[in-house]
Amino acid sequence: ELVQFLLVKDQKKIPIKKADMLKNVMGEYREAYTEIVSQAGRILQEAFGLQLVEIDPKLHSYILISSLPCAESNHPCRAKEKEKMGLLIVILSFIFMKGNTVKDNALWEFLRWLRVHPGEQHEIFGDVQKLVTEEFVRQKYLKITPIPLLDPPQFSYQWGPRAALETSKEDILNFVAKVQGKNPKFWTSQHHEATA
Amino acid sequence: NREEILSSKSNRLTEALEEANKLFEKVCRAREAALDAQFLVLASNLGKEKANELHSEMTSFDSATFAEDLLTLMGINRTEIEENDSEPGGFLPRDAWQKVGEEALKYFRRAPTFHYMLGSFKSDPPEAKQRIERQKKASRGEAKQIMPAQLKKMEESHEEATEKEVERILGILQTLFENDPDTPISFFDFVIDPNSFARTVENMFHVSFLIRDGLAEIRLDDDKLPIIEPTKSRKGVEENQGPGARKQVVMSLTQEEWK
Repeated sequence: ELVQFLLVKDQKKIPIKKADMLKNVMGEYREAYTEIVSQAGRILQEAFGLQLVEIDPKLHSYILISSLPCAESNHPCRAKEKEKMGLLIVILSFIFMKGNTVKDNALWEFLRWLRVHPGEQHEIFGDVQKLVTEEFVRQKYLKITPIPLLDPPQFSYQWGPRAALETSKEDILNFVAKVQGKNPKFWTSQHHEATA
Repeated sequence: NREEILSSKSNRLTEALEEANKLFEKVCRAREAALDAQFLVLASNLGKEKANELHSEMTSFDSATFAEDLLTLMGINRTEIEENDSEPGGFLPRDAWQKVGEEALKYFRRAPTFHYMLGSFKSDPPEAKQRIERQKKASRGEAKQIMPAQLKKMEESHEEATEKEVERILGILQTLFENDPDTPISFFDFVIDPNSFARTVENMFHVSFLIRDGLAEIRLDDDKLPIIEPTKSRKGVEENQGPGARKQVVMSLTQEEWK
């Protein structure tokens, strides 16, 4: 039952909180929480090839990721999802290649090249700014922190914990290399960092 | 001093390092080595900051080229006309971002989004019973929706439907009789539906209720064929008081006979 709950909750890709699990599924079995969670994790792994990861040890929230190697998980994916992943990987690539942290205006300036503008309705993404600064953040793909002592406020963008779990610097470097038709070693410092 | 070192044009840091190197060769006491180590830590921190300041020159990553290459991946149709704004000319196809996304998925270990394969149950409203020609019922809309989970409800509405049908048939019988009070109706004419055996059986079923409740009567006419007529109210009352002439008749009707 917990397994089903987790699978359904995972649809939005927002981390699942322990509190929700207790309230909706476990009810009387509160004391057995750890047992049940680890059992569920085992079932997810064996039956679905999914890994249940605690992404926030303080809040006890969890996400599901695939434990199968990337190329093999050739599962059907809806267009909307694909498009968002496309945007996401571009952002993650930019952040990594630029040294793991970028300022918000640097990112949005870059996205302009791709016809994506904050504050404008995008044909495909709608409110892009909301997608990037809210949805991706809630899903733990991105981490946005305000830079102190700056007025007007500016923010720095970094990889979120989910990004670090679902992909890797090496994978992203390979993506960039593929797009640009170059060997990943072309970018020596990033390559060094990615394969360290 | 720090500012000076950080300024990118300055070689101060390098100079300081070189000096430290020379000094280290002369070192023979531990304390001096510790100082040297301290200095190195400081120097490396400064070096890191300096490197950060240099941004793209250090990483040799050119975002403009990256963007261009991404657009190519998206399948942009480049136009010949030069645009005035900073965006290069060109037309992005509808599936531009899908193309990127398709490639992107190969680099993520994303749990596939879980969707139910089958929808939840819905049942059709009960089939409209076939109407006997002369009567039309506007209340077809009353036919109830049945929720499968609620078996109780289903049974209820079945019962009600039967009652309704019985009432309806009574109504028809009475109407027919009104039009022609002295002629009872041939039972078979009344119940048989020329198009459907099943309906015929249903009709008989409903008529049997009427008989049971004393609302109609079946008699045999001179030809020994059953006829049916609604009981006149007086008579009905009387019958209820008496022992009640109740007969049970098993009517058999096979499909053959029906034909």
